[in-house]
Amino acid sequence: MAKVEFKNLRVSFGASPVITGVNLSIPDRSITALMGPSGSGKSTILRVLNRLIELYPEARVSGEVYLDGQNIFDMNVLELRRKVQMIFQIPNPIPNLSIFENVALGLKLNRLVRGRGELFERVKSALEKAQLWDEVRNRLDMPAGKLSGGQQQRLCVARALAFEPEVLLADEPTANLDPENTAKVEALFLELKKEMTIVLVTHYPPQAARISDYAAFLYKGQIVEWGPTKDIFTKPGHELTEKYVTGRLY
Amino acid sequence: MTAERKAENITAVRMVINWLGLGLFALLGVAAVVPLFLIIGDVYVKGIDAINRLGGLWHFLTGLPPTPYEESGGIGPMLVGTLYMTVLGALLGIAVGFPLGVYIGEMRREKFANVARAGVNVLVEFPTIVIGLFVYAVMSLAKEDLNLYLLDPLSRTISPVGGWITQFIGPLDGFNAYAGAAALSIIMIPYVALITASAYASIEQPLREAAYATGGREFNALFVVLRKAVSRAVLTAALLGTAKIAGETAPLLFTAFGNFYYAPFTGPTAAVPLWVWYAAQTPYEVQIASAYGAAAVLLTIILTIFIIARIRG
Repeated sequence: MAKVEFKNLRVSFGASPVITGVNLSIPDRSITALMGPSGSGKSTILRVLNRLIELYPEARVSGEVYLDGQNIFDMNVLELRRKVQMIFQIPNPIPNLSIFENVALGLKLNRLVRGRGELFERVKSALEKAQLWDEVRNRLDMPAGKLSGGQQQRLCVARALAFEPEVLLADEPTANLDPENTAKVEALFLELKKEMTIVLVTHYPPQAARISDYAAFLYKGQIVEWGPTKDIFTKPGHELTEKYVTGRLY
Repeated sequence: MTAERKAENITAVRMVINWLGLGLFALLGVAAVVPLFLIIGDVYVKGIDAINRLGGLWHFLTGLPPTPYEESGGIGPMLVGTLYMTVLGALLGIAVGFPLGVYIGEMRREKFANVARAGVNVLVEFPTIVIGLFVYAVMSLAKEDLNLYLLDPLSRTISPVGGWITQFIGPLDGFNAYAGAAALSIIMIPYVALITASAYASIEQPLREAAYATGGREFNALFVVLRKAVSRAVLTAALLGTAKIAGETAPLLFTAFGNFYYAPFTGPTAAVPLWVWYAAQTPYEVQIASAYGAAAVLLTIILTIFIIARIRG
């Protein structure tokens, strides 16, 4: 069964429609890439999935979204966000907080741990999974803002992983990183997909080709085509898809 | 004239104009700062001289104010009253102003938030004497019922604690420190609220989303996670607001009223700015001198808070 299922999702901001009827199912323990030109609605889909869309007062959402067969709009939003964590385009650690606190904060605020020992273990394991532990183990008290951009992004991954999420949303997570850090994050995702479902938004087709198992091509708020990544890139069924994956449509 | 010569001349002219311009700006800068230093200098020169004549610093900070026929005296009751009312007013101002600021800054989807914002914008420019008058009116209306039903029984219940408690809690007079603190807090609330609101409004969307994604409940996202991002601005606002209300006179005229003695906070309470206002108008040299001393003390309190705010901010 699909981990996540969108049924006729429509989103508009004020009068302008952004998503106009999306149907998509996302398989468990895999990386699904949502790709498409700017403004095609990729990020909006992610923000529906963890209901961060509700921070935008002018957004109107209709249709259904299921996580493990449960309608997410009927779920407790806190439980949903615990299961569905997100990494953003711009690394956004909480300023004025230490490296340790950045990862620990969500666990503390949501009362997911009992006692300091368990907290430390969870933070350590999250940092290890995010492949940042070795670089920061001796300076956990340092302000997170002093890390490099690539490290900050992996810190944000650790912050998300601390929740032990079932679904990890990544909104162009490497858009602001250099090639070396991009490679690190991509390798990390390939490791993480063994344990969770990853939905990766990218506007860079080669990235989708490199690491995703499934790919969906969005254009103007609709899914033009979706399927196994290999098929999308080698035998696209639609002219627009072909143009996009060959770099002729931005 | 060769081309190079001409270029050199143009450069020289430009440098002269540049110097003239910079000099003019420097002059304007000096003109802006001169009054500040004149005021500070005048207050400290006369104030320190007065403090020395009236019996030294310690006596001045703790003693009773001089009667017209005394040689020495201080502003002890005024200092205590000002500290008490300022701290209370600031705590109340922050306690109300901060959440209010979050509300009008962050809850823009709520219609009432706009109404609140407009209200706060008006209140921040309100004549402070009107605020004092308002609190006086409320106090006059509420005092008797408040005393009869709440404060009399309360003071009887807590009297076994000791006599000192009656200095703080008991039936209220028409003028009292709590009315003064309330008036001061009303001045502080819009000030803290507006700075908090603009600090929250300037939070970038990625950080806001991170806060909601990790914070869970909206309360946590707003007051725990995002507060870390704005805490400096809010702390500065709180300190500057405190400095502002510490020196306010007008709102205390109808509320604290002033006093010459150490007295329970439930009755008329002394305050440093009130003493400056009162003593400087008297025809007695010794009281005028003590007004200068009091002004120097007040200025010291306010400048200290300003410097702390500068360093922390």
